[in-house]
Amino acid sequence: MASNQIVVGLEIGTSKVCAIVGEIKSDGTIKILGVGEAPSRGVRKGEIVDFETAGKCVREALVDAEEKSDVMIGSVYLGVTGSHIGSFNNRGAVAIPEDREEIDEQDFEEVQASAREVSIPPQNTFLHTILQHYYVDGQDGILNPIGMFGRKLEADFHIIHGIGNRIKNSVRCVKELDIEVLDVVFTPLAAAQVVLDQNQKNLGALVVDMGGGTTEYLVYKDGAVKGSGCLGIGGDHITNDLSLGLRIPMARAEKLKLEEGSVITGQSTPGEMVLLRDETGFVGKEVERETLNTIIQLRVRETLELLKREIEPLNCLPYLGAGLLLTGGCSMLNGIDQLAEEIFGIPVRLTHIKTMAGLTSAFENPQLSAGIGLIKFAQAMQPDRPRGVFARLARKLKFFALIVMAMLIAVIFLMHRS
Amino acid sequence: MIELPRPPFDFSRKRIKIFGLGGAGCNIIDRIALDGSIDGDIVAINTDVQALTGSIAGVKVQIGQTITRGLGAGGDPEIGRTAAEEGIGEILGALVDATIVLLVVGLGGGTGSGAAPVIAEIAREHNAMLIVVATLPFHFEGRRRADQAMASLDALQEKADILLCFENDRMGEAVSPQASIQDAFALSDSNVAQSIRALAKMSSRHGPVHAGFDEVAAVVRSHSARVLFGFGQADGKNRPRAALEAALRNPLLDRGRRFKEAESVFVQIAGGADLALAEVEIVMDELHRHLPEGVRVFFGAAVDPQLTGSISVTLLSAVASDALPATDRVAPPTGHRHSDGAEYEDVAGGVEARDGHEDADVDFVEPELGLELEEESDEPGEEDPRIAATPARAETPAEGARPAAPRPLFGSLRRNLTPAAAPLDAKEAKAEQMQFEPVNRGRFEKSEPTIIDGQDLDVPTFLRRNARLKK
Repeated sequence: MASNQIVVGLEIGTSKVCAIVGEIKSDGTIKILGVGEAPSRGVRKGEIVDFETAGKCVREALVDAEEKSDVMIGSVYLGVTGSHIGSFNNRGAVAIPEDREEIDEQDFEEVQASAREVSIPPQNTFLHTILQHYYVDGQDGILNPIGMFGRKLEADFHIIHGIGNRIKNSVRCVKELDIEVLDVVFTPLAAAQVVLDQNQKNLGALVVDMGGGTTEYLVYKDGAVKGSGCLGIGGDHITNDLSLGLRIPMARAEKLKLEEGSVITGQSTPGEMVLLRDETGFVGKEVERETLNTIIQLRVRETLELLKREIEPLNCLPYLGAGLLLTGGCSMLNGIDQLAEEIFGIPVRLTHIKTMAGLTSAFENPQLSAGIGLIKFAQAMQPDRPRGVFARLARKLKFFALIVMAMLIAVIFLMHRS
Repeated sequence: MIELPRPPFDFSRKRIKIFGLGGAGCNIIDRIALDGSIDGDIVAINTDVQALTGSIAGVKVQIGQTITRGLGAGGDPEIGRTAAEEGIGEILGALVDATIVLLVVGLGGGTGSGAAPVIAEIAREHNAMLIVVATLPFHFEGRRRADQAMASLDALQEKADILLCFENDRMGEAVSPQASIQDAFALSDSNVAQSIRALAKMSSRHGPVHAGFDEVAAVVRSHSARVLFGFGQADGKNRPRAALEAALRNPLLDRGRRFKEAESVFVQIAGGADLALAEVEIVMDELHRHLPEGVRVFFGAAVDPQLTGSISVTLLSAVASDALPATDRVAPPTGHRHSDGAEYEDVAGGVEARDGHEDADVDFVEPELGLELEEESDEPGEEDPRIAATPARAETPAEGARPAAPRPLFGSLRRNLTPAAAPLDAKEAKAEQMQFEPVNRGRFEKSEPTIIDGQDLDVPTFLRRNARLKK
């Protein structure tokens, strides 16, 4: 049984690269050991456009993480995103061979392979094939069919795919630093592992990760992933809009967005001005608050509306019991939860990271959801992890049994002697 | 490799003549004549002798001398029609050896609306292929002009092989509200001029993938369709993208959004001998992102020695007139543009503008044209003899007199045009690029655009939605 394991999640985002070093403890909890960050350059809309520069940023972030966590990083789980990533649901089916009645593990692989037999664009590759439900002989809602009798095994999968070369580019960017990539993960899938607990996954929830260059979403319903996707719009667009609309430099626009930005309009007093200070503290320019907020609101509203349209075909919006969970850097915009609630018509919550041990308060930052999620994802991927309470109990019982046995032997031995 | 000599193309067999009819038509052909980029005869036809004198077209035909006595048609299509019937001889004379007639007309006024169907009829009887490029009046010009324009359009629809119909209202949206009326009309004119130029060139270009008038006709065939047109030309490193972007920037396309209702799209990509397949691919791939699924794409690639170093992209499509959402129309512009399109239709005044509703604005359009005349026209003194001389041309043997076959003519014409060789005199004149408000994508300028439903989402939302912001 593996003891504590160190896992590193690496996310190459549009605004920053972050490497998170976490320790998966033997009891299944995760402890964050350190977070390495570096401002990102050479990345646009979640995709690497300048290979060399992006590589440098990744190195910076990894070095930073190594220093903070005192861990030597050798391998990472890499988060990927980009508007080229698409998804769909598909059902696979296999017939169980005549000579066998029970469903076994090899059928699992076959059914997965059959679900993948769909046409995706030739340059695309499969990123994830996520199980939703099994059906045995048409019987619905089966969670684990191993050992069941049946003639036909079917399964619904959520399949996420993206342009192969772009994904490979991200991987290569890391590999050039002599660091192994254990797996690539579509970032909202990772983020969802952090912001949702099992209960919320069962109830149904929409996770929206509004990052710097992209906005990703993932829908969980009945404990399974129902939909996911990525829009190439993010916080950078807000900054860009502000820069163009207010005629101020990008850096100033970014600062203004972070410090004063809000999506609520119509609440400032007419003529209320925001002062733009330069580095020395002098007031350079005044901007009317209403104008500032209008620009931000128009962009955020549009993005959320596009997102809603993407999700509508899934027909599950009214049934998401756990509502919408907003994460990512943009979720820190003032009033964005109210706006999202207005658009989606379901309760909206801004997320904080839970179920973590360690210096959590330092990491309760929606910007890190995806990065920490990568560690959770890695944890879920670990096959030798003790499963649940029973497994742990069994392990303890085994230990007990050993002691009892040893004692018995000792007693018998002693009795024999006497 | 064995080189097969291409049989020399007989230029005399294909003759394009561009007819500008009425005030608006003459304005547009003047624009074409100015840059001299088309090798075809340019003929101005008008009732208003004053406007005609101001035109720089090579051939000028005055019609309706007895009815209008050299004045305009006064906004009455009936007068325009009678004038054209009276001038049949002159028109025929100007038209005599043309195989392709490009009739440019601004509908709504007297001369344009009235005479256009008559000239169309003459062209058809003459067995020439008839391409009509018409503009519809601005909505603020009033109901009457709109009705006249529609009546005339219906008549033209029956006769024309290809009818391209532009709405001034749509073109008016391209100019900023602060722009002067001169700029607004100049933009509208140059827009139409560019499409004509593209059409005229289409026949003279040849390339690996042919696309010609038959494809254009297929695209704009449906009744009362309004044309979506875009033209862009670019050179430099990123030329395929830049050219397509420029083409899409045309207000008629509304940055590609208009394609949503289109059923088919005609694309011609032209470049010099250095046009690469990869570049064509880039343009087409990018374009497909703007097109709805299932749209028919007629694609042509052509090589034009004039274009060496640059690429031009011509987009043409049509949508049913009611498919254009009315809400998109710009509200009647305030201030500058209140003085309507009357001048546009009959620029140099004429009866209509004078006794019509608006007043002094005629004056500032006129001087501009007069100026152009003095600078560009070689011998202004000789205009009148030329007008008189035109009927004499009627005697020259009719080149285009092929066996009468009204519709099939189309096909035969195409066969003739296909092997068109490069224009003999590669003129230096470069087609002018239209200056619209630049699409501002800021930091995303060089990145791959995020396009959803034909909208470039990198452009700030407030710009796309025209939100009012206090500055």
